[in-house]
Amino acid sequence: MELEVTIQRYLPEQSSEPFNQSYTVPYDTSTSVLDALTYIKEELDPTLSYRWSCRMAICGSCGIMLNGKPMLGCNVFLRDYVQTGMLIEPMAHFPVERDLIIDMESFLTHLEAVKPYLISKDSKESVQSFDPHNQTPRQLDKYQQFSSCINCGLCYSACPQFGLNPEFIGPAALTLAHRYNLDNRDAGQAERMPMINSEEGAWSCTFVGYCSEVCPKSVDPAAAVNQSKVTSATDLIFSLLGGRS
Amino acid sequence: MQQNKQLKRSDEPIWWGLFSAGGVCFAVFLPSIILFYGLLLPLELVILDYKQASQWFFGFWGLIFIGAVIIFPAFHSLHRIRHALYDVKFQQKTLIKWLTMGFAGLLSATSLLIWVIGS
Amino acid sequence: MSYRPTLTRTWWLKNTAFKVYMLRELTVLPLLFFLLCLVKGLYSLSQGAEAWYLWLAVMQNPLVMLINTLALLASLFHAWTFFQLFPRVMPLEFGGKKVSAPALVAGQWAGVLAVFALVAWLFWG
Repeated sequence: MELEVTIQRYLPEQSSEPFNQSYTVPYDTSTSVLDALTYIKEELDPTLSYRWSCRMAICGSCGIMLNGKPMLGCNVFLRDYVQTGMLIEPMAHFPVERDLIIDMESFLTHLEAVKPYLISKDSKESVQSFDPHNQTPRQLDKYQQFSSCINCGLCYSACPQFGLNPEFIGPAALTLAHRYNLDNRDAGQAERMPMINSEEGAWSCTFVGYCSEVCPKSVDPAAAVNQSKVTSATDLIFSLLGGRS
Repeated sequence: MQQNKQLKRSDEPIWWGLFSAGGVCFAVFLPSIILFYGLLLPLELVILDYKQASQWFFGFWGLIFIGAVIIFPAFHSLHRIRHALYDVKFQQKTLIKWLTMGFAGLLSATSLLIWVIGS
Repeated sequence: MSYRPTLTRTWWLKNTAFKVYMLRELTVLPLLFFLLCLVKGLYSLSQGAEAWYLWLAVMQNPLVMLINTLALLASLFHAWTFFQLFPRVMPLEFGGKKVSAPALVAGQWAGVLAVFALVAWLFWG
């Protein structure tokens, strides 16, 4: 069996505009889009560029737009696209470097900005203390759903608000912030709130909800972002009542 | 990039709070209110005469009605219009905020004023 | 050199999820029309019996009734979307256990029915 696969190419040394190119790829029931890209590069066109690593939906490297929907190439199969055909484009809302390679710099900066790590109550103590931080199943349950993010960035390609304003801190970063805020071992919420409280924080979100639809790990970033709005609104009330913000 | 910038607290929690309260009202109260006042009353399937209406609306329950059925839904409505305008790239954020929230405020103030005069 | 694709005004037409989103956002347009009708009605009521019955006549205009029918449908569609979002934005606990999302959605629809019963009782009771 063969399927025509169309790929949006971008070769900056040849042309300043992207263009579409079609390839005919043999497939069976287990051929993934990532397999198809590898076939094209090895057998048909060595100039094609794309990212990949694990082939099993855990590294989060092979994100693409497939017929307009953000997906991991390794997580989707040619057999399901016989009727509709296949158009593969680079992940939306990011600058494109070459073919399917996007520049993830802004995504990484946004992640870093929310301090996505445990901040201990006493920073000196945390360096010296190697005591285990025991956690009950209930304490774990509070944040566990939001801790499965693999940083693939698909939610940013699904988010029109990030597309409209790249300064928006975005679904994955806000979800990580929320994940650490919900962790009883963490004492860093006060440090994260200014980012969440800002216009580019939780308040750029309009609950389109598509981020949660495309998330390959069912993290539900839209829920995390909107729970952060509740946290942020509470934080505002406390600051107005004269408490520390 | 993000770290160097002075982060300003957004006033959006206020508008979002009003929007959410209005969202609950729009979902819970408005279906019945639209059905009775917007459809059954004009079709004369229910009756509301002037005296009855005037007593009820310019009393205590009328004030509750204005809050739950006009004021909160007005803020809900104009909050969504505000953000939908931004979505379709009318991005004069400050102007649109003043126009939409101002209009919601105006509708609210007008309703309250009519209630005060009427009661 | 990299290039950054920009969103056009019509980005929301390119995908079913975005169209449903925009439809949800636009439910407020017929709502706003209905609210304006109500404010006008309230004003007429304050102006005396004649103005009130004049307002009732305006509400019988087929175009007005058409938009208000749309408003009714919009309110139900809004309720359908809004009730689903609620358990995700504010997950509730009862007796140390999370309340299931379907239970919260059903509870909110029960609220809609309760309001219907109340208004029906006010008019017909």
